[in-house]
Amino acid sequence: MAHRVDHEYDYLFKIVLIGDSGVGKSNILSRFTRNEFCLESKSTIGVEFATRTVQVEGKTVKAQIWDTAGQERYRAITSAYYRGAVGALLVYDITKRQTFDNVQRWLRELRDHADSNIVLMMAGNKSDLNHLRSVSEEDGHAVAEKEGLSFLETSALEATNIEKAFQTILNEIYHIVSKKALAAQEAAASASIPGQGTTINVGDESGNTKTACCST
Amino acid sequence: MFGKKAGTEELEAFYPIRPECVAEIPKTRFKPRAGKTLSARRWQAAFSETGCLDIAKVLRRIQRGGIHPSIKGLVWEFLLGCYNPNSTLEDRNQLRQQRRERYSMWKTECRNMVSVIGRGNFITTPIITDDGQPIEVEGCRVTSAVSDKKVAQWMLILHQFGLDVVRTDRALAFYEDKANQAKLWDVLSIYSWVDDDIGYVQGMNDICSPMRENFRCSTTSIGVQSQLGTLSQVIKTVDPQLHKHLEDLDGGEYLFAFRMLMVLFRREFSFLDALYLWETGNVGNGVQP
Repeated sequence: MAHRVDHEYDYLFKIVLIGDSGVGKSNILSRFTRNEFCLESKSTIGVEFATRTVQVEGKTVKAQIWDTAGQERYRAITSAYYRGAVGALLVYDITKRQTFDNVQRWLRELRDHADSNIVLMMAGNKSDLNHLRSVSEEDGHAVAEKEGLSFLETSALEATNIEKAFQTILNEIYHIVSKKALAAQEAAASASIPGQGTTINVGDESGNTKTACCST
Repeated sequence: MFGKKAGTEELEAFYPIRPECVAEIPKTRFKPRAGKTLSARRWQAAFSETGCLDIAKVLRRIQRGGIHPSIKGLVWEFLLGCYNPNSTLEDRNQLRQQRRERYSMWKTECRNMVSVIGRGNFITTPIITDDGQPIEVEGCRVTSAVSDKKVAQWMLILHQFGLDVVRTDRALAFYEDKANQAKLWDVLSIYSWVDDDIGYVQGMNDICSPMRENFRCSTTSIGVQSQLGTLSQVIKTVDPQLHKHLEDLDGGEYLFAFRMLMVLFRREFSFLDALYLWETGNVGNGVQP
């Protein structure tokens, strides 16, 4: 039955793809989710989605990946884009310097709209076009280090590092989530409610757990 | 069977597809139907001696069976509201002439700022920095720093057209020719200069591609967000179960339909079918019968 399929995973993680127009976001998505690459791809209009289920440390994780148009003007329209995203892959094109310079702009965008705990990775895509390179790998590493991001050079065309990029993000998200779950268990254990195996709602950290420390 | 096949091939000849792309694109379902589709003969018969058009007669036909590809361009001029059906042939010739002159004037105005416009070439990388300093780009030089805000904003978006133009309707043989890609780029560039309120949203290239010359006449709606809201309301009323299902899948915002509405199903159907859909669906939007 088709409706059962949706529940056959332990975790669902939403990841967003961001970066300038034409850097290869849609092809990264299709390479990861369908193992396809299309030289004749079209510009993305609005938002598109795809999913793939992978194993992370023995757990079944469904990665729901959101792809969007690179044009800045679409940001305002697709406000739902960042909502609930726990990971982001920020892509630039190693043959187009400007797309790398704009990484700062995208980071700002993330700071403004995404959850502050979002797991971030930067990808310098089109590494197969080494002869047209205008951003060195060192420059990529330098920015990543400065901004505290993981970093890989990728090629959706040659399927280089695409798996690795998503696996890295998913692993990291999983660690955060399982650490939280562990902390919640410990909290529950010390809260002395014996014999109750029910779910403990740890609440949304950004929500009602806020105390009044800043209000004065 | 042979006859049928020949018919489709004949149809495709109006908008030839690159042979290597045939397998990847949606199949065209539109077929001209005798007595229903507006044919060249019927079209010509709908004009009076002075050249006034009996638009009501024509519209009925288009709604029933679309327009034969051989006359699409001519009929669309009326559908898009470029001409009043009650105008005479002479009126229209004059108007066309005026519009061509105006377009050429705009083109010159744009070319004086960015030399590559109207020269069969285009750019895909920025020509100025965010603060208006010229960036050297092969074949296109901005000579001095740009301080005017309108000019700067326009120049900053030009390479985006380039990035999208190379990705527009690549399956059509027409766009194999770089000069034709450049024509689309010219139209988008000039349009965004003239109508800087709307400017450019990715996807306009898809809308513009079928109508290149007539683009100025058409209107592009950016109110997709509110249309999605309407769609959601409609489905909720018409098919509550489907709406519930979509909500369960976390699709209650109908974002999946964004592209369909944004580019009016251009991506879902073949080139010809999209035109067919537009002409039957949009009939009456630009014309007052």
